Amino acid sequence: MRRKQRILYGICLLLLLVFVVAGCSGMHTPAKHSVAVITKSTNSDFWKAVQAGANAAGSEYNLDVIFEGPDTEEDYKTQNDLIRKAALSGAEVIVLSAIDFNKNAAAVNEAAAMGVKIVVIDSNVNSDAVLCRIGTDDYEAGQKAAQAALACTESKLHVGIVNFDKNTENGQSREKGFRDAIKKDARVESVTTINVVSSIENAQSGTIKLLQEHPEINVLVTFNEWTSLGVGWAVRTLKLNDTLRVVAFDSNPVTLGMLETGEVDALVVQKPYAMGYLSVETASRLILGHNIPEDTIYTGATLVTRENMYDPEIQQVLFPLQ
Amino acid sequence: MKLKKRYSFSSLATLLITSAVLLFSIVIFFVFVTLYQKEMEKNAIVNTEQAVAQAGAAVTNYTEEMLTTMRLFRDVYKNGLPVDGSKIAAYMELNPAVVVVGCYDREGNLLDSVAKGKRKENPLKDLSYLGWDVYSDGQIHISKPHTESLVENEYPWVVSIAQNIKTAQNQEITVVLDIQFSGVAKYIDNVGIGQHGYCFITDDAGNIVYHPQQQLLYSGVKQENTALISSGKKGSFVQEQKIYHLLPLNNSHWQIVGVSYTEELVTANVRSLIFVLLLLFAIVIVTAVVCGTLLSRTISKPINSLINAMREFEKNTENFSYKVTRGSNEVMALSESFAQMVKRIQELMEKVRNEEITLRKTELKALQAQINPHFLYNTLDAISWLCEEERNKDAAQMVNALAKLFRISISKGHELIPIQKEVEHAKSYLMIENFRYKNQFTYRFDVQSSCLSYLCNKITLQPIIENAIYHGLNRMVDEGEIVVRIFEDGEDIVFTVEDNGVGMTAEQCTAILKKEPGDKAGIGIKNVNDRIKIYFGDKYGLTIDSALDEGTRVTIRMPKVEGE
Repeated sequence: MRRKQRILYGICLLLLLVFVVAGCSGMHTPAKHSVAVITKSTNSDFWKAVQAGANAAGSEYNLDVIFEGPDTEEDYKTQNDLIRKAALSGAEVIVLSAIDFNKNAAAVNEAAAMGVKIVVIDSNVNSDAVLCRIGTDDYEAGQKAAQAALACTESKLHVGIVNFDKNTENGQSREKGFRDAIKKDARVESVTTINVVSSIENAQSGTIKLLQEHPEINVLVTFNEWTSLGVGWAVRTLKLNDTLRVVAFDSNPVTLGMLETGEVDALVVQKPYAMGYLSVETASRLILGHNIPEDTIYTGATLVTRENMYDPEIQQVLFPLQ
Repeated sequence: MKLKKRYSFSSLATLLITSAVLLFSIVIFFVFVTLYQKEMEKNAIVNTEQAVAQAGAAVTNYTEEMLTTMRLFRDVYKNGLPVDGSKIAAYMELNPAVVVVGCYDREGNLLDSVAKGKRKENPLKDLSYLGWDVYSDGQIHISKPHTESLVENEYPWVVSIAQNIKTAQNQEITVVLDIQFSGVAKYIDNVGIGQHGYCFITDDAGNIVYHPQQQLLYSGVKQENTALISSGKKGSFVQEQKIYHLLPLNNSHWQIVGVSYTEELVTANVRSLIFVLLLLFAIVIVTAVVCGTLLSRTISKPINSLINAMREFEKNTENFSYKVTRGSNEVMALSESFAQMVKRIQELMEKVRNEEITLRKTELKALQAQINPHFLYNTLDAISWLCEEERNKDAAQMVNALAKLFRISISKGHELIPIQKEVEHAKSYLMIENFRYKNQFTYRFDVQSSCLSYLCNKITLQPIIENAIYHGLNRMVDEGEIVVRIFEDGEDIVFTVEDNGVGMTAEQCTAILKKEPGDKAGIGIKNVNDRIKIYFGDKYGLTIDSALDEGTRVTIRMPKVEGE
């Protein structure tokens, strides 16, 4: 009888303890978790849309979203500093769009060693610490660009590619997708690539130089927002609106104007808002310890031409409501 | 031991109290949680309705403002074309939300337009004008939000407000106003119902006009259950753990839809209530167990000790001593009564024992006082016979022995006399009997001298010797012998009386120890045995070993008792 009583007391105490712990954890509202979104830059419309999406998810999932990036899209050093700073300031997840596939890896690994979870958007980094990659399927986006480039009636095609930093992973994947797709077309006579610094001026002067050296080029492709603008301006400067078929990337309002006026003939538009939103949503799942359904999430890309740009669905993609 | 296997009072009481509390707690728990949940659901619906009503009021305000603005511009156009450009510019300055103002003729040709930024020279598409037929009823029409397609390098989201009017010159034109939508959008974006609830705008048919996450809807990341909304339901309803509230607006064909999550507004609250309740109940139950145990212990513990005391008393009635246990009044009363009872019983027992001893003593004294008349008669007869034969010396010896016998028998009324005296008594008796039986037997004493000073019951040996003579030697042909031995055995003193007479059967031996003495017999063997047992306890007393035709040995054992 004594022992039974003791067991009864034990059970009671245990129950009490369990309830107290459960009650405390149940009533406890956790402090706001922090997520750092570090992008290649902060001033392009693409990154602004990413930020808008990230903030939307941040308020939905009650997270502190810190949005930072270097001024230029080549400055991987500043990006590394930002990664370290975010890790030190207690960010639980870093959402990164890596400028340099290899040179950002060390900082990412350091942060991961401090227990920070890494999610990559848009452009990848060479690290095993990355838990989830969210972005455009770059290879497929390149193929979409090729599909738009080949949608013309010319019998002979000379293709010029204005790509950005060779060390950036997504640009290379897009070019590869593009090249693989146009290889299959017999009309393609030549493919010339130049690499420029990702800014309007560099892209513009590079494009003008390329077109002067290779006047035979009649199809021009470029793979991000800044180089798209540079190429557009170059085409406008050289007044090649009608003779050159230009396929560009992303939905800067100026590029859209060029699509209307003819400097640009097709745009491969990514979904930066969805990228930002999904990255922070994934971060929230990681913080709560939930499983993430896939380690790679493709947000998709839309091919926009002059004909469909004012379709209601395309409007939503092209013109984010600010 | 049996009692322990049944439920003890303590655990039964604890069990009863605990289960009563538990039952009560469970009932309260369910009633409370159910009521609370209902209340929370009502609350959540009211919250949603309130948020939607506020959003509705804001959007109604906004559309009202748009309509007012429209009327303002319309009145300018009513004055006829060409329109007063400075007035339009001034009104646009006053209404910064207006992006483009224009008018169209019946065929849809743009007659005149003013834009905030640079107007496109050759717009690819004009999303602001939907066609003459749409506006033919002369009412003000509000379009779905769309991007501005008439301004260079700017693509703000606008709603187009259009109306067919007749100018002063009787010209039929459509006035179209593009007004920025971001004001409504911002307001709708910021409507929060709980943490994740939100509002959006649909038209009558359930098509989304504006949704805070429309980018996600269009990119397929999220879905909104628009089928539900177009199904024509009105008011509030709960579906798939979401609370929907639909509010049609009266100055446009839009309706506000509020969505909130029962999980967040109801379930989470109920869950935290359950946590708190469980915590409270755990405390209550533990308290009940502790209280029950304490309560039952205060009753059962003294009762248990009372039970133990009673058992102890059963086993050892004489030497039991009981102390009153502490406890509640009832138990104290019980305990006191028991103590009283124990005392009383022990007193009674003591009394009975004393009375029994007194009775025995009285009886003994009566017997001792009684002189066996045959013995006295025979002895006196023998003495007289000796006198007649002038054997004066022998006669004097006999008289002496008889006198000694009687003196020791009386011994001033003492029950215990020194063994030495007892031996003298036995010797006197044997001398008389030996004389009477004309030396038919011999006798001898073998006494350890260390024993002589201890005390023994008087007239212990005589009845046994008497028995040996009358029943053992009397019927013998040969000369008999009686041997009396007294020796120490540890803490005891042992007397033996042996004869070589006819002996007895085992039945006779036990019968002798039970037989009440008759009139004739003086103090019987049984009496000797009883007296020793009364005085010294059951350990002591008398045993008889006998074999037919061989003899009898009677052994008496008693403790060493020191004389004063």
